[in-house]
Amino acid sequence: MTEELPEDLEPGEYGAEAPVTGQGRMEAAWGSSEGDEDLSDTQVAQPTSTGHVFEQVYKPWQGELNPRWMRNWAILRHHLLGIFKKGHRPWGMPTRLFILVVFLASLSDAALTLLSGLLGEASLHQLWGVSRDNLYGHVLGFFPRNVLYYPIIAALLVGSVISEDRQHGTSALYFSRPITRFDYVGMKFLSVALIQSIVVLLTLTLYYLAEIISLGRGWAWILDTFPLFLAAFLSGVLLIFTYTSIGLALSSVSKGKFFPGIGLLAIVLGTKVLAVLVSTLFDREILYLLSPYDCMAHVGQTIIGTQPTYDQYSWTWSLASLVAMNAFALYTLSARVSSMEVTRE
Amino acid sequence: MQAKPNTIYRSLDRKAAALTEFTMRQYRTKVSTWVVLGVGLVAISLVMLIYIDVMATGFESVDNDGDSYDFDNDGYPNGQELKLGTDPYMADSHPGLLDPPVEPEPASNYIDEDGFDISLQGTSNLQSTGFDDDGDCYNYDGTSSRKDGNNNNIECDVLLVQNRYTGEWEIVYDLNVDEDPDDAAYVAEATHMAFVLGIGKMGFVLLLGLFLPLFLATGLIRDEMSAGTMHYMLAKPIARTEVFLYRILGYLGIVWPYFIVLGVIFATISGFMGPGEGVFRFQDLGVWLAIVFATMMASFVYGMLFCTMGVMWRYGIVLAIPFAAWELGMCLVSMGAPEAAILRFSVIGWALMIVDAAAVLVWPNMDLFLLKGNSMQDFSAIKSSALALDFFYSKPGIGSSGLVSSVIATVVLLIQGAFLWFIGGAIFKGKEIE
Amino acid sequence: MMPDFDQDGKGETKQWQPDLTVPAVLLEGVSKSYGRIFALSNITMALNGGVTGVLGMNGAGKSTMFKLLMGKLKPSQGKIRLFGTDPWKNPAPYARVGFVPEHEKMYDWMTAHQFVSTFARLNGLTRAEAGVEADRVLNFVGLADVAHKKLGQYSKGMRQRAKIAHALVNDPDLIILDEPLQGCDPLARTTIMNVIRELGRMGRTVLVSSHILQEIERITEQIIILHNGRLLALGNLHAIREKLDQIPHRITIEADDAKALAKDVIDMDGVQGISFPDQKNLTIQTHNLGAIHAQLPKVIVDHAHTVHTIDNPDDDLASILGYLTSGGGV
Repeated sequence: MTEELPEDLEPGEYGAEAPVTGQGRMEAAWGSSEGDEDLSDTQVAQPTSTGHVFEQVYKPWQGELNPRWMRNWAILRHHLLGIFKKGHRPWGMPTRLFILVVFLASLSDAALTLLSGLLGEASLHQLWGVSRDNLYGHVLGFFPRNVLYYPIIAALLVGSVISEDRQHGTSALYFSRPITRFDYVGMKFLSVALIQSIVVLLTLTLYYLAEIISLGRGWAWILDTFPLFLAAFLSGVLLIFTYTSIGLALSSVSKGKFFPGIGLLAIVLGTKVLAVLVSTLFDREILYLLSPYDCMAHVGQTIIGTQPTYDQYSWTWSLASLVAMNAFALYTLSARVSSMEVTRE
Repeated sequence: MQAKPNTIYRSLDRKAAALTEFTMRQYRTKVSTWVVLGVGLVAISLVMLIYIDVMATGFESVDNDGDSYDFDNDGYPNGQELKLGTDPYMADSHPGLLDPPVEPEPASNYIDEDGFDISLQGTSNLQSTGFDDDGDCYNYDGTSSRKDGNNNNIECDVLLVQNRYTGEWEIVYDLNVDEDPDDAAYVAEATHMAFVLGIGKMGFVLLLGLFLPLFLATGLIRDEMSAGTMHYMLAKPIARTEVFLYRILGYLGIVWPYFIVLGVIFATISGFMGPGEGVFRFQDLGVWLAIVFATMMASFVYGMLFCTMGVMWRYGIVLAIPFAAWELGMCLVSMGAPEAAILRFSVIGWALMIVDAAAVLVWPNMDLFLLKGNSMQDFSAIKSSALALDFFYSKPGIGSSGLVSSVIATVVLLIQGAFLWFIGGAIFKGKEIE
Repeated sequence: MMPDFDQDGKGETKQWQPDLTVPAVLLEGVSKSYGRIFALSNITMALNGGVTGVLGMNGAGKSTMFKLLMGKLKPSQGKIRLFGTDPWKNPAPYARVGFVPEHEKMYDWMTAHQFVSTFARLNGLTRAEAGVEADRVLNFVGLADVAHKKLGQYSKGMRQRAKIAHALVNDPDLIILDEPLQGCDPLARTTIMNVIRELGRMGRTVLVSSHILQEIERITEQIIILHNGRLLALGNLHAIREKLDQIPHRITIEADDAKALAKDVIDMDGVQGISFPDQKNLTIQTHNLGAIHAQLPKVIVDHAHTVHTIDNPDDDLASILGYLTSGGGV
């Protein structure tokens, strides 16, 4: 039935000067990979001639590799700009929307401070102006920020950061290039952390600035309060770092898109619920050491100088626990990433 | 092969058994299932370990009225001196100087010597109860009006007054009546009951009942659709709503035995470790049964809900997060204000009502018990434990009796689950699967 | 047809007539669109009995058509009937249908026997019946000796055969296979092709899709050709080809000097006629499209003509089949 099988082709049929035949079109359009073994046989039988497609001379690349920071910046940029622009890492629409909503919601205290300055309302300023408690509350307040805003942002961000590479095999895009595994995971970590810092730290700074602007604060005031601001900033960094390292560790362990996010929320909120349960029932605060939020809150209270709410143990225990949690998460993350396959897992 | 009728309603039980079994087996082979179950077990066990430690350490008895002390250091406890009429503040005056001389009693005789004799009898809103066990009211050297501090013309008693508007009872004590109860016994009992209710409501129903479905039920249909293996299930004479239901049944086949086993273990441990005269607290089993049942019902409804969220939208799971926050809030509302109408719109409100109903049935004298503890001094161990118990204990929010409330709550949860199945099935039926 | 080493005797080729009263598969004016893109446009056909090959390039709409048949997608227009029943939202016809999907993903943790028997039970069989049927079909596809190994350990060809076995377990009257030979080694291919041919011989309606004509030719002669969502041809392959050869093909060329070009073109082999729709355009009529296209570039270059466009205004079926089957005689 089919008279024309590849074996019947004469040599030279695939040369550049041969007219494009129907056979060639068929093979090009409808050829399957399994048919290729016949074609390659034919190729081997042909003598080499000028213009032969398969004549190759290997030339090693003598160029200069760009500096490491440029490659890393490319990865970082790809992840960061994906929040705003097309053509970069496509964060899902719910994630972007939620980041916007939380950003605006986090600015509530800045807005109220501005309002108090505009209206000249002392009582409003008493409630919302910059103070130790309010700086602490901006970063580490439990409700609503650390229930509804920050952990959920972290959960949405870390969800597929590493697990998608495992699932789709796109890790090959990174590891087949001169990018170390540390750079790969470091830049992903940094990108997630930076997006969170827009929501946490940038809003904190705007809050501080709002007070300065709206109430015309002078240098004396700034000198007085700047250490507090710095302490709150540091607490925020600690918060972001902890959420990111736990979340990324979960993302490196899972192949799903949502399990890491839900796992992070379960850890943060679940440990808090358990700790509150034990504390209410037995008046023992020991389980707070297992809750990342409470450890961070305790350390934050100490460095900012607000009233400590954990009185059964010293803040150094919370710090130690926090360090241990982060170390464990980072260890898991690095172990998983260094053993990641350069293909779909 | 014989002729097969062209209907999908043939042999439903075989199809159900096949798909349910398949789902259970599929989830058993997944590592994530075991991780989630294991983490849940560890988390709840932590609380249990602390409970065991607290119960084993025991509670100390406190001398609430100070009569075991010896203010004048004459060797005789204040209480003995008061009883025999000598001056507890002056060392020269003590019972040893009486005729015949009285030996000093050990101080421990005056700790927990005047326990609660309060009981609620009948329905009248003013009840006299209580008895001055150590006689420090009867023997009080003062006027009759001082001995009748609650002004009910009965000396040295306890008056129970019912508030006309709220229906709540108050205790008004006469001087030195029932003032030094057995703290250890009370605190142990209150802590134990608070633990059972607390871990039942927040540990089992909230944490396990909410998070296990979140991890396990969301991907029941969604994962199959993403992986492309949904074709194997759908290219069969079986309705999509059936597939939805059987997948859920398979998931329940994993989590329900888990809850039952966990419940049995915890009931056993707390039954043995709990305070009381007997070796095992059999009556608590009613509450544990309700806890396990409420968790099972909650996981059923949440399973339907999260599976529906997974089916309806690729990002459906994102909706689950604010929902979980909402349910957490509702759990706290249920414990603080169980009659709040907003609880009717949550799932956990109804599930917790089942637990509350069981508590009311199994521990019928809770109101009085709490009242006694709350009437003691602030920051005392008794009062703290009573407050803790008060936090976790609520009456069923719809105001009916225990049995009626639990039946209503169960029916509502079943309706919620069925409604969600209907919605999820309908969405799934209309879904185009690439 | 090309003989295979396992086949006994020559395969039968029959002229096939669809039974339009209750055909196994009936599509009437079916279209499926995604926004402005039409995955399928206005497909009308009926199939009843025998093996039918569905041929088309990647993106022609083969998988879309199968998904419509299997009730995974809803047609934007038209109606679909499987054994007289609309499969959208009504899975009743699937008791008589077996579907082999294109997706590779399977349950790697199950053995082939477990896989086939578990899903057999979704047809309403008891556990014992399902076990027996699973043994039967696994034997039919040649996996009897490895039936109790996990699917994760199977090769690609074995997985395809396991999928086919799972589709056959309920003794279906209609079997739909979506690219069953994709990624299989030649031995597995032959086995699968024999299975498909056997099914056709048993009187079932079998729909097989592929984008490789040679594979389809080894299984059947009744084909459907889809291209860009349209049904280009339906029927016996030989008949289609014969018909095509009778239609003269046209090539339109837009050139600066059409008349000069015509003088050179007329000397080419296979040119039946030339016409001038206007000053700049030239139309060549031929029965041998491939031959003309083989010679045309040389003629243009040798005589230094300036050509703007070359077009085949006839339907693409002609060009496709022409290239496929005759190869222009080169």
